[in-house]
Order: sequence, then structure tokens, then C-alpha cells
Amino acid sequence: MATTPIGTNSQLVIAPMLIVLVTAVATLLLGRRPQARAAVSLGGGAAYAVAVAAIDWYVVLAPNAPGIATYQVGDWPAPIGITLVADGLSAFMLTMVAVLGVASLVFSTRHLPGDEGRSYYFPLFHFLALGVTGAFLTGDLFNLFVWFEVMLMASYVFVAYSGGPEHTRAAFWYVSLNLLASAVFLLGVGGIYASTGTLNMADLARRLAEPAAYGLDPVPVVGLLGLLLSVFAIKAGLVPFQFWIPSAYRAAPPQITALLAGATKKVGIYAIIRLSFTVFAGAEIAVDLGVPGTGFAIDSPLSFVGVALFLMAGASILVGGIGAVGRDSLEGVFAYSSIGQVGFIAIPVAIAATTTSPELRQLGIVAALVYALNHTLAKGLLFLAVGAVRSATGTSSFADLGGLAKRSPALAIAVFIGSLALVGIPPLSGFFGKFLVFDAAARSASAGPALVLLLVGSLLTIAYSTRMWNRSFWGAQTDAVETAAIDPLQVAVLVVLATAILAVGVGFEPVYEFAGAAADAALDTEGYVDAVDPADASDLADSSGGDHT
Amino acid sequence: MTAVVLAATIGALFALGTFLLLRRDLIRVVWGLTIISQAANLYLLTMGGIAPATAESVPVLAGHGDHVPETADPLVQALVLTAIVIGFGMTAFALVLSYRVYEEHDTLDVTNLGDHK
Repeated sequence: MATTPIGTNSQLVIAPMLIVLVTAVATLLLGRRPQARAAVSLGGGAAYAVAVAAIDWYVVLAPNAPGIATYQVGDWPAPIGITLVADGLSAFMLTMVAVLGVASLVFSTRHLPGDEGRSYYFPLFHFLALGVTGAFLTGDLFNLFVWFEVMLMASYVFVAYSGGPEHTRAAFWYVSLNLLASAVFLLGVGGIYASTGTLNMADLARRLAEPAAYGLDPVPVVGLLGLLLSVFAIKAGLVPFQFWIPSAYRAAPPQITALLAGATKKVGIYAIIRLSFTVFAGAEIAVDLGVPGTGFAIDSPLSFVGVALFLMAGASILVGGIGAVGRDSLEGVFAYSSIGQVGFIAIPVAIAATTTSPELRQLGIVAALVYALNHTLAKGLLFLAVGAVRSATGTSSFADLGGLAKRSPALAIAVFIGSLALVGIPPLSGFFGKFLVFDAAARSASAGPALVLLLVGSLLTIAYSTRMWNRSFWGAQTDAVETAAIDPLQVAVLVVLATAILAVGVGFEPVYEFAGAAADAALDTEGYVDAVDPADASDLADSSGGDHT
Repeated sequence: MTAVVLAATIGALFALGTFLLLRRDLIRVVWGLTIISQAANLYLLTMGGIAPATAESVPVLAGHGDHVPETADPLVQALVLTAIVIGFGMTAFALVLSYRVYEEHDTLDVTNLGDHK
């Protein structure tokens, strides 16, 4: 890294993946030594965070940072070889995963759910992180599929981890749905390869921007983008693809659910942003798909994504919010809330996709990213709190809880801050997330419906947060709560996360700049293409093309 | 001609897979998923195109006499190989999981598994 300048072929890009892979294998080998395994696991997590911080600084935030760094695996040049790319958007996402991952890892060193599966917990944890990291860093579509699968394989096992009838059934539906989604993903990938002759995202962006030069017909790509969008919407848990979330989130151990909600959900969002804005934004394809009476004109792949995303996000806000109000356990409320909150992330993305104004487009993505950060911190905290409550009292259903606030004020304050961040109270991170989302909505062409949706969603958030709080933290102490032995280390992790939520809100300026850099990176197709695959267009036109068969 | 046969095969596989996916028996659901994954793999292979090969593009085949048969795009072959391996692992996992479901619920009938709690 010292000898190679950042930007061209920087080993820094592959560092987090190598670290997490080595940690996963090492913890697998240390299966029979619990102390050593936990130590290696924590060490690996810390090294991962350091590597991500190094990417943040050297690639994005340093005064003369290049903004984008690539690593060509095995030194094979871009359109042919496997490319890893770290830019502002990837770095922002990786940072969220690193923060939540380390918190969840520290939390996991106490009270792992289930004893027999313990030796597989940490290796799986790191493989999950490996899949997520790979998905954020990969520069081509097929590898995105592969990293999705790596991430999913680990998550399948985690959903089935606790081994009861409920968990096995949830895992079966989760696996079935995702296998189907993987097949659909392959269809999209195959179709895009057939229509454009490439799977490298930079190469794809270049070809779609000037289809005539490469002799390809970009129209089928719009439909294929729709296929991919549905796959990513499943990962993000947007309505109508949300039905697996409540049972899977209930079945997985809470510290993993924190990661599922905080990190793997964001992979879906990331893939939507990356493909729509970096790859497909340049394509000028006339699509005649007007939706009468909505004010939306579908005239490019991007506005097609925008309209579809807007409808899904709006439905998510309503379904998630209304579903959360009626749940009878902590993780039930948070799982449904997670469906609603992802709608708040997707609405500004949809606005950014439908607008033609560059400022609003940038604002939309910044809003989505800031809200995603808030969701990662707050929902991560809340699911970890479920874990703390469950390992202390053995239950998380409202019927058996009550008076937790008196039993453990620190836990209660942390959960309170997490809930307020979801609601969007200043000066927490959620306030700026909500503020930017409302700001983007107010400036968009469809301000009316968007604002009404967001307002209803916010009211629902207040309703279910209040209900959750009243039912479990206030009131008379139940037997389960009175006899609870709350683990101080777990509470300490929660307090640190709550402090992070507060710190992001108070010191918002650098976070805003980072999110701005990430949004710029997402929108800068030319910069992405130049960094990944600087080859001259004319060299490639005759070497391969879209005219197979 | 090849294209028509392949299209028909892929269509038939998807139809069969979807049919099995909608059965009540969990094992048939797993079969359905497997067949749909295979259909997706075949589709991927077809999308790469099948073209007459030359001695330069397939040196291995060229060494075995003059005739070089039509070959699929080598890139998609690599992709499909990866997809097959992943799909195989997933199918094995789904089968184990359906066995667990049988152990826990004493049935493989989807409708008897009950609803959310």
C-alpha cells in the first residue's frame, strides 16, 4: 500500500475482504477453544474497522484523496478480469457495516443463543460480513450475484440457528424465497450479458451511454433492470417483497438480526443506487410507459426505477408502520418497523431517480444515505437491546415484560434514544435523516403524495415506539424482569451505540460531507468508468459486442 | 434451430419448476427450486450465444481432429459453473432443512405447518 499510489491498483481496496476472510477461517480452525476464538474474532473485527477507516480516509476524506480506488484481481484489466472498486458510496456503506459489525461482535461475546452451535457462530458471522463487504466492493454484476450468495448462505444458517420448529419453518421460507430470487438474479444477469456483451459495471455504463457506438440495442435492458430491481427489493425488504422479514427476523439471534436489518438490507439499497445511478443513468432509452394521473413520465430506465421504487416504498411505509403497531413482542415491532423504515430510505432514492434536476438528485441520495446510517445505528441498537432483554429475562413478548426502565436505567435510556432516533427528534441522527428526506420530498414533482406518506409514516413510528415503550419499559415490574440479570457489557455496547447516534446528530457536518461525497460518487458515472476501465472506447468495440449468435 | 429447441426447453423447465413450487409437499418445493435454478443456468448459457468455434478459440478441441464443433461462450460457461456450484450447495441445504421441518413438525405438508404465531 505504501508503494502503490491510491487510486490505480490499490491493495487497500481488497484489505477488508482479506481480513474478514482470514478471520472467518481462523475462527473456524479455533472451533474448540472458545476464549481464543472470541479473541481472534474481536481482533479481526477491529482490524476490519481499521481497514474500512483507512479506505474512508485515503480514498474519500483526505484533502487530496482520489475519491475512487480500484483493485484489479490478479492484474487482469477491467472488462475481462474481476474488479474491486471502492468509492465514496462503497466506503459510506462499509463504514456503517464496520460500526454495527464491531458492536454486534462485542455484544456476541456474551450469552450466545444456544450452546451446541457456538463453535459455528463466529465463522458464520465473518462470512456474512465477507458477503456484505464483497457486494459493496465488487465492480461487476456476476460477482455481485456471487457475494449476495455468500451473504445469504451465512444468513440462512443464522435464521435456522436456534433450531426450534418456528425457526426451521422461517428458515425454509427464507431459503426458498432467496433461491427463487437468485434464479431471477441470474436471468437478469444473463439477459444483460446478451443485450450488452459485458457484465463489468463500468463497461456496461459506457456501452449504455452510447449504444450506437457498440452496435447494441439497449431497450431490453429496461425490463432486465426491472428483474434486478425486484431481486434487490427482496433483499431490502420492500413491499410487496417484505413477507419473509417478520418470521426471519424473529428466528435469527437478535445480534444477527441487527446485522440483517442494519447491513444486509443496505446491500439491497446499495445495489439499487449503484445500478440505477452509476450504471444505468447514462442510458437514454425512450420507454413509453406513462402512468396516467400520477404526474410521472416514464421516459428513461431511471424514471422507471423511480416510479416502481416510489410505489414500493410508499406501500412499505404503510404496511411496516401499521404492522408494527399491532405486534406483541419487541422484535415483532422492530421487524415491522424495519419494513417501514426502509420505505423512508427508498422514497428519496425514488425522488432522485425521477427528477431531472442534478441538485435534487444529489439531495435525494444524500437523504437516503443519511437515513440509512440512522437506521443502521438505531435499528442495530434496538435489535441488540432485544438480545440484551432476551438473554436477561428469557422473553421479549410484551405480556411478560414491564418496568424494564426501573430495572436497568442505562438499557432504558439507550433504547429510548434509539426510538427517538427512529422518530426523528433533534439532535439525534434521525432528525437530520428525516429532515433531509422531507426536504427532498417537498422539492420533488410529486410533493403532495410523498409528504402525506412520510407524515403518516412518521406518525405511525411515534405510535409504535410509544406503545413498545409503555408496554415493556414502564409499568409494574413482572417476575421475569425482577429476576433478570442484565449483562453490563451488553448494556455498555448499547450505550456506546446510543452515544454514536447522539454524536452523529451533534457533529453532523462531517457526516453530511461524507454522505455528500458518497452521493457524488454514485452520480459520477464518468469518473467511475475512467477509474475502473480507462481503455479507449474504440479498442473494445470490435473485440466483443452485443451481437452474440 | 438450436435456439428454438433451447427456448422451448427453458420454457418447459420454468413451467415445470413453477408447477412443483406451488405443490403442498415440501420436497416438491425443493425440486421446483432446483429445476428453476437449472432453467436459469440454461438460460444464462443460451444468452452467451452458441457459435461455430475455430481452432484458435478452442485449442483443446482442435487437437482432436479437424472438426471443431459449435461451442458456447466460454465466459458464460465459467459463470454457469459458479452458479451450478452455488445452486447445488443451496439445494443440499434446502433438503436438510426440509428434513428438519419433518422432524420438528411431523409433516411435509405446507398447509399443516401453521401460520405465524
